[in-house]
Amino acid sequence: MSARRVDRVERLTNLLALLLETSRPLTMVEIVGALVGQYPDGERNQRAAFERDKAALRDLGVPIEAKSELGQGSPGEYRIDRRAYELTDLELDADERRALQVAVAAVRTDTSAGRDAMWKLGGSAIGEVGTVSAVMPDRPELPVVRAAVASRSLISFGYRSERRHIEPWGLLLRGGFWYVIGLDRDRGAQRTFRIDRFDGTPDDIDVGPSGAFERPASFDPRDAFPADPKQIGHSAADGAVAIVRIDATRAAAIEREVGADRVIQRHGDGSVDVEVPASNLDAFRSWVLGLLDHAVVIGPPETRKAIVDWLSVVAAGSSV
Amino acid sequence: MSGPRNAEERLARLLVMLPWLMEVGEVPLAEVAARYDLTEAQVQTDLELVAMCGLPPFVDEMIDVFVDDGLVFVGVPRLFTRALRLTAPEGFSLLASARAAMELPGADPGGPLGRGLAKLARALSDVGLDADVGGTDDTAGVAIDLDRPPVTDELAEAAANGWELAVTYYSPARDERTERSIVPRHVFVDAGNWYVVADDDRSGERRTFRIDRIDTMTATGRTVPSADVVSTPGAFFDDADLPVAVLRLAPAAQWLLDRYPIRSQISLAQPAGWIEVSLPVANDRWLARLLIRLGPDAVVVSPGDAAAEAAGLASAILARY
Repeated sequence: MSARRVDRVERLTNLLALLLETSRPLTMVEIVGALVGQYPDGERNQRAAFERDKAALRDLGVPIEAKSELGQGSPGEYRIDRRAYELTDLELDADERRALQVAVAAVRTDTSAGRDAMWKLGGSAIGEVGTVSAVMPDRPELPVVRAAVASRSLISFGYRSERRHIEPWGLLLRGGFWYVIGLDRDRGAQRTFRIDRFDGTPDDIDVGPSGAFERPASFDPRDAFPADPKQIGHSAADGAVAIVRIDATRAAAIEREVGADRVIQRHGDGSVDVEVPASNLDAFRSWVLGLLDHAVVIGPPETRKAIVDWLSVVAAGSSV
Repeated sequence: MSGPRNAEERLARLLVMLPWLMEVGEVPLAEVAARYDLTEAQVQTDLELVAMCGLPPFVDEMIDVFVDDGLVFVGVPRLFTRALRLTAPEGFSLLASARAAMELPGADPGGPLGRGLAKLARALSDVGLDADVGGTDDTAGVAIDLDRPPVTDELAEAAANGWELAVTYYSPARDERTERSIVPRHVFVDAGNWYVVADDDRSGERRTFRIDRIDTMTATGRTVPSADVVSTPGAFFDDADLPVAVLRLAPAAQWLLDRYPIRSQISLAQPAGWIEVSLPVANDRWLARLLIRLGPDAVVVSPGDAAAEAAGLASAILARY
């Protein structure tokens, strides 16, 4: 008897129902027998189709347990633990669910994961975007790293072609990028890494056993991170600063950007002198040159010279 | 939506749809379609299909659902009464979105979002290790900082009410300050910068302004309601009409890839590690400013006069030293 034409959704639904309902794990032969006429003839074809279905269900997040009691080579047995399958009831009140829904609509990401989550929580795709919204970058590494932060598992990953071993203490979104902050075991010091700069794919992140370290009780990613991008890659102790004169056109905006406490002198023509971090010279130079002729580096002399040398190269001109 | 859907997508949608249908019992087909971003025909096809699903001894009775005269009816719930658990990406995305929404102007930590977020955080810390660390916060370890310029809240309030504002705005592309009247329509944050989409009297168009470039701002007292809903513009910077520049970049300059909408990118054999990119350019002055920041780490392939433009601008800056 050949298989009747079965919509694959029907077969997947039946397979899911069977594995949820069964009181004991089932072999593939038992499964094919229960789903009469839905799998193709011949064991090789059946195996291929069954493996494809199993992979499809697992991709959806269905926790299929597989075990092989008699060890290698014996037929696998499969079931789904209903408690592991079902969503934990969040006990959301109607207004709370609505608020989460509005949040998902107001925060735009590259994936549909937030919308899919809301559907599972009983929400709807009809999201009213208000007058305020955010664009949030999404990275496939994030769920892996968050789980490691939560379970306090060591992670190792490639970063600029070097393997790093980190106690992940926290994740932070700032300035459009996700960072993981933690203790670098090899360097014995706290370090910050940009998630999108990890080498390879999420599968290349190794996650160790849980409970491997203690996060400092007072740790907050917001404070641990250098508040100013011009300090990234350097410890806070290395506090090199430069003094920059900002002309009247940009003075008000820059004072808002760096904070009034950074203004060390105000001049009669409306210009101001501000003190800004310069330990990361590349970031500092990019910032100060972005201000064009509205900003002049006053000191220290070596920083001023570095900027002048840089500008001289550009002024000399170069093209292909 | 629509388009061909594969079996996994159809099943995933059914698995969220069925628990909800079982809860409401009877609902218009159109409402189901809108709620799950499908056409009515797609909903009907898939519901009729699962109604036929079944295993002995429950053949054809496993999922008691039928569609009649534009209404969906659900009988005795047996299977699929509860949704599938959240996957790790779904849990993360929801948590991060809710956290981000708490950082937007007008968010109330004591309101429904704050309470919903707390419940979500509790459920997600199911590994049991988060809750006892970091004091009050169940998910210490995921922080979102959308630090905003002080005037952002006023702009958001103006957008909500259609208030017209007189502003002075600094335009880096032209390097000038302008006076204009704007009616804010939408406020958003992208890549760490806050923007306001507003009806602009100076250009007569709807324009996007960077909030940190608004130097002064006062309400004119006029209110201009808007009928249309305005949301985040998609990649407003990358306009198909913009001219394109071709640059060769040293590794030190490749942060550019993160910041700007690069159109194409190829690796160069020489010098090692260099790449060639093409990127849309707002105007000549914008490109010159970028080239000054990139310095010796960038070489212009085209347009031919860009290097000279950058050299002139660099000389003007040098004149101040």
